[in-house]
Amino acid sequence: MLSSQAFIAANRFGYGADQTILEQAGTEPKAWLLQQLDVANIAKELASFDNAWSSKTAIKSMAIYRQKKKQDKVNAKKASMQPSMQAAPDDEKMMMLNSDSIQKQMNKSAAKSINLTIAHQITTQNPFYWRLVDFFSNHFSVSASGQIMRALAPTLENEGIAPNISGYFSEMLVAVESHPAMLIYLNNEQSVGPNSKFGQRAKGKKGLNENLAREILELHTLGVDAGYDQSDVTELARAITGWGVDNNAKKNAGFTFRAGFHEPGKRRVFGRSYKSGGVEQGIAILKDLAEDPKTAEHVSRKLVTHFVSDQAPQEIVDQMVSIWASTKGYLPKVIEAMILHPLSWSETPEKFKTPREFMISTCKACDIKRLRPDFIKSLTILGQKPFAAGSPAGYKDTQEYWAGPRAMMGRIEWAEHASKFAKLAPMEIATGALGPQLNKLTQLQISRAESKQQAVTLFLMSPEFQKR
Amino acid sequence: MSIGRRDFIKGGVAGWVLTQAPMANAWAKASSVKSKKIVWVMLRGAMDSLHSVLPLADPNYMAIRKDFVEPIQNKLLPLQQGYALHPSFKNCHQWYQSGQFLPVVAVASGYRERSHFDAQDQMESGLNATDYENGWLARAVNELGGHGLAISQTVPIALRGKMDSQTWFPSHFTASEDDLLGRLRKLYANNQEFSELLESAITSRDMLEMNEQKRKRPDFSYLAAQCGELLNLDDSASCAMLELGGWDTHNNQVGRLNRQFKILDEGLAQLKESLGEAWKDTVVLVTTEFGRTVKINGTKGTDHGTGSAMFILGGAVKGKQVLGEWPGLSDSQLFENRDLMPTTDVRSWKASVLHQHWGLSAEQLLRVFPDVKPMLKTVVA
Repeated sequence: MLSSQAFIAANRFGYGADQTILEQAGTEPKAWLLQQLDVANIAKELASFDNAWSSKTAIKSMAIYRQKKKQDKVNAKKASMQPSMQAAPDDEKMMMLNSDSIQKQMNKSAAKSINLTIAHQITTQNPFYWRLVDFFSNHFSVSASGQIMRALAPTLENEGIAPNISGYFSEMLVAVESHPAMLIYLNNEQSVGPNSKFGQRAKGKKGLNENLAREILELHTLGVDAGYDQSDVTELARAITGWGVDNNAKKNAGFTFRAGFHEPGKRRVFGRSYKSGGVEQGIAILKDLAEDPKTAEHVSRKLVTHFVSDQAPQEIVDQMVSIWASTKGYLPKVIEAMILHPLSWSETPEKFKTPREFMISTCKACDIKRLRPDFIKSLTILGQKPFAAGSPAGYKDTQEYWAGPRAMMGRIEWAEHASKFAKLAPMEIATGALGPQLNKLTQLQISRAESKQQAVTLFLMSPEFQKR
Repeated sequence: MSIGRRDFIKGGVAGWVLTQAPMANAWAKASSVKSKKIVWVMLRGAMDSLHSVLPLADPNYMAIRKDFVEPIQNKLLPLQQGYALHPSFKNCHQWYQSGQFLPVVAVASGYRERSHFDAQDQMESGLNATDYENGWLARAVNELGGHGLAISQTVPIALRGKMDSQTWFPSHFTASEDDLLGRLRKLYANNQEFSELLESAITSRDMLEMNEQKRKRPDFSYLAAQCGELLNLDDSASCAMLELGGWDTHNNQVGRLNRQFKILDEGLAQLKESLGEAWKDTVVLVTTEFGRTVKINGTKGTDHGTGSAMFILGGAVKGKQVLGEWPGLSDSQLFENRDLMPTTDVRSWKASVLHQHWGLSAEQLLRVFPDVKPMLKTVVA
């Protein structure tokens, strides 16, 4: 017999149930969740999932794009200086098309990468792992604004987060803060130490940019009310000067440390001192920040708020913080503390699904492999376009944010639309997804619906499917 | 009611099919046959035929349906043989008078249970057992050598088959209709939180719509108009499928059907207008998955039944007649003592249209509808 715990595991900590998942979650749902964080398991999962779009390719394409664009301009100018040449406008068009087509190609590849991840999440046998990837991807939110960020944004998740779920938080933190997407998004690649070689030469024309340093403290680690002050922000900003991106298509095309940009000297951040040095100075600070109890509290509370309840039970958070301290922020152990806590398994689902969870769980429940409009456009309509939170704080994680009147009507309309893609019988979909959690009233309304599509819509909009 | 392949051939119907209309001529000009369009409108939710084509001549009718008929009694639109059309069918009645509309009473598919989904699937499949990858319209247009068009996001069962069908739908979603919102209200009846979410969503939408005057909704009229235009644009699309939901009138039937019939009637008028010249070569079939109970239920509505009506209309139709055999409404004449008894199969009428309009041969009709034979009536002029 399938326990309701298996369904809770599948829905609250995954994207919903299916036959294989229920068989695996079966009698030991907690063990099933935790084994997904096993290093070897994640390696296998990532190997099975071929996402070719990388930050390296993005940066290289971007370099060629810029070069082409420059060339296009020169050609256009030449053409305009020779008005007698009849063919000029066409040439110009063609040249423009070339840089344009590179741009299109980049955007297409980035979108494909996002769609690929979502398609994989619908069918994965490691849904909890992917929910954690989604969580940290939003925790370290980058937005795809501007051409370079459109190309780079999805690569942060693939390269900085997905491979680092099964490790220390400090490892993920360093990987993310040194990733080209984050460095460019929060302008650190332009940040120059005033006393660095380059800074002195620039005579005040180049200087410090605190953007990334501030968000590291406020959003990524300690949290806004942790007690740090402006001097901590400035000191951290100085420490990570020189963390930049090599744009050269022929060379590394990725993270680079520019010693010439780096502010020399000792640093003092959040009560701790750091000796002078190069890239290792910033890394040392990030490591301490990652292990700080304030960070443990901040990230643990966000995790519990995300998975369990908008009102995160303090008992679970405390348990995680204590494990964070004893393991130096080893994520599988911290997450285990949440999973093993009885309060994480309340029979009443308390979390209102985010649009992304709603869309993916809908596709999973209805066995939809392809949507039209596609996943990205559907999420855009539902209000959670990937990599478009528009703020480094990412998308909000509570019900009042997602269940507003407009959003609710949008959800109804989208559900009505998506249900057209469902081929299975409505009751089969409903019982398969929710098992014992399916409400009698919902069953009744499904059976009374006037069409299959309407029945599926009603199921998708039922409170027990909207919440997890 | 279903007649096997062998009976069909033995029964000499094939002979009738081949002699009634000289098809050789049409086959010589295959392209001209392809320009003859068929539009199928599927009414999802089970339309009550006793309220659309009112059998006023039946001695039992008024006694059973008095409460439903009285509010519209003075405005009924008269048809032959003592039938009348519901007053909302203004355009259909005009076409009836000009010989372009005919209702068929007491029809049903081969399905005799009362589940909407199964009945709709089976009607789309057109077989005695549903084949989800094999639709009747796809088989028919395949015989013709043309292709079909669905005004839908995805290919409906009716147009699934060997050949690809096209689909078209506006990119923005259809605004949810009141029927679905009403059902969500019921679904949330015991859940205060979701009830409140829904009510504020509806209020906000209504306010928005008032402000924007007319938010462009891809409603049935709009979809029907687009359907006509697409058929005109695409020479090789010989048929199209449109759908209209909202027929499951378990309560307050009088008011709901006033509106529903109007939506249908006006949509059909839009289709005619956008088809323009092509209307004269078009046959529109309007069918529903099953009928509704003869008796009125406790909530001023009707429940799932069996026999219903279908409409055949268009410039190519021999209208101004009411077809189908009336079974009567006395208790002993009803199906399972509650529903209108179906006397002919919807598929038989469709088969007649396929033969008379597209010139499909007896052999071809057997491939489209292996379980029925065509009706021996002239439906296409």
